[in-house]
Amino acid sequence: MKRKISKVALYAILILLGIVTVYPFVWMVFSSFKQNREIMALEQHLLPQSFIVDNYINMNNRFNFLRFFGNSLVVTLTITVLVVYTSTICGFVLSKYKFKGRNLLFGFVLATMMIPWCVTIIPKYTMIQEFGWMDSYKALIIPAMFSGFGIFNMKQHISTLPDEILEAARIDGANEFYIFHRIVFPMAKNGISSIAIFQFLWAWEDYLWPYLVINTKEKQLLAVGLKMFNGQYSTDYGALFAATAISIIPVLIIYLIFQKQFIAGIASSAVKG
Amino acid sequence: MFKKSHPLQSKSEIILRNIVVTAMVVFFTVFLIIPIGIAFAGSFHEWNPLSGTYKFLGLKNYIDVFTSELFWTSMLNTLIFSVVVIIFRVGLGLGIAYAIYSPLVKHKSFFRAVYYMPVVTPMVAVAFVWKFMYNPQIGTINQIFGLDINWLMNPKTALLAVMIMTIWKDFGYAVVMYMAGLYSLPTEALEAAKVDGATAWQTFRYITLPLLKPMTLFVVITSIISYIQAYVQILIMTEGGPGTTTYLASYIIYDEAFVKYNFGYASALSFVLFVITAIFTGLSFRVSGSKE
Repeated sequence: MKRKISKVALYAILILLGIVTVYPFVWMVFSSFKQNREIMALEQHLLPQSFIVDNYINMNNRFNFLRFFGNSLVVTLTITVLVVYTSTICGFVLSKYKFKGRNLLFGFVLATMMIPWCVTIIPKYTMIQEFGWMDSYKALIIPAMFSGFGIFNMKQHISTLPDEILEAARIDGANEFYIFHRIVFPMAKNGISSIAIFQFLWAWEDYLWPYLVINTKEKQLLAVGLKMFNGQYSTDYGALFAATAISIIPVLIIYLIFQKQFIAGIASSAVKG
Repeated sequence: MFKKSHPLQSKSEIILRNIVVTAMVVFFTVFLIIPIGIAFAGSFHEWNPLSGTYKFLGLKNYIDVFTSELFWTSMLNTLIFSVVVIIFRVGLGLGIAYAIYSPLVKHKSFFRAVYYMPVVTPMVAVAFVWKFMYNPQIGTINQIFGLDINWLMNPKTALLAVMIMTIWKDFGYAVVMYMAGLYSLPTEALEAAKVDGATAWQTFRYITLPLLKPMTLFVVITSIISYIQAYVQILIMTEGGPGTTTYLASYIIYDEAFVKYNFGYASALSFVLFVITAIFTGLSFRVSGSKE
């Protein structure tokens, strides 16, 4: 009996908190299908009384959100692919090769993770201007190509791969490029997927850097577009909800598909580190 | 088969290593070390890109930082913000993780996945959702609780409102961390306690909690570092207002650098925050290092 009561109590708490967690998303999605009249009505209902999709159409006519969405997707995927590659290859070299200065280099990579964004962003901004990269995706992609977090995690991950496999391949005459691309890379799949997911999310939500270096509206990314839209149409709530929804929903879908790798990724980095 | 006495380095290994090490060093030099140097030099100058000024000031920017009322207000706000959010993040995270860990609860990965959802969603978008939820005209929070508060415009509630939103967004991270910690606990200790007749509370208080200390430390330190750098929710929800009640340390840097273009002053402020972050990071290594 006592067991039963505690079970019900535990579930009640967990479900209540689950509702609190999910409610803002549900409210946002439902509101995006409401008319402005209904959003601003004195008496409110969670479910739309008359279900409309006009908000999405209006939003896109005014601001070309599909364009922002596409831009964000291209830039974010490019950064993710590059970071996965550089992190894996750096992690491989740092964990499987012995050379002078290796530990120093690795310590340096660790140190890069502790530097707050605010210290480097002003000089990086002035450098991008001097390089003539303003308003081009080079400014978004090139400074993001290597990631201390990615290298650190891939180094930890690849060091758990057995050396015997690499040795066997070497004896068979494989060169190191072959070994990395054909043996290490596929074997590091789990580490790669968690780096990929995190990098994707970080690049997707980055606001300040694209805001600073991209000037042309058509080239802008989703997070900045969302803020600009809010500035210009601050009272068209229906369209604002629709714009917010399309910034969040794709991420939630990716998360729900990959949530196992996600959670395994963060949890393992913490238990080890 | 003969064994090599030295691990002989092949030509391709040397080539690959040289490419990778060179690329890494060049990248981090250009996008990290040089910028830090430029920022450090800039922090001693009056540096405004709009007017093209770059004039040596000595320590004036740093003196201005420490004598600025807004700086101390923002430090106090950051302190309140961090302490409150971290207490709730750790408390909720530990409590919920322990509840899910209980053998009475099934659907463990379902609950964990739900609580982690806000962590992965983009901050800009989520901050807007909460801004709408707090809106007295269209918002759902006043509706649900039957209140009449202009949350983000009232100096008494604005910081609280931002803190609630941040707790909502971040507690799931602590849940996942503590669950990982709980599942890696040595089962012998817990079983020994059971054999000795310890109550559930005693086991938790005297065995589980001390064993989770490194995890708690990890969560607290990473939280401090990330809240010292937090500004997006402020930028979207309050822009520091009403008055200066929600100015956080990093928001001033954003404001000084990219609204007012006082690059020199903003750089000085960045280094002050950098030092504070470094102190906390160093402390964390000392505390966690002395444990092992």
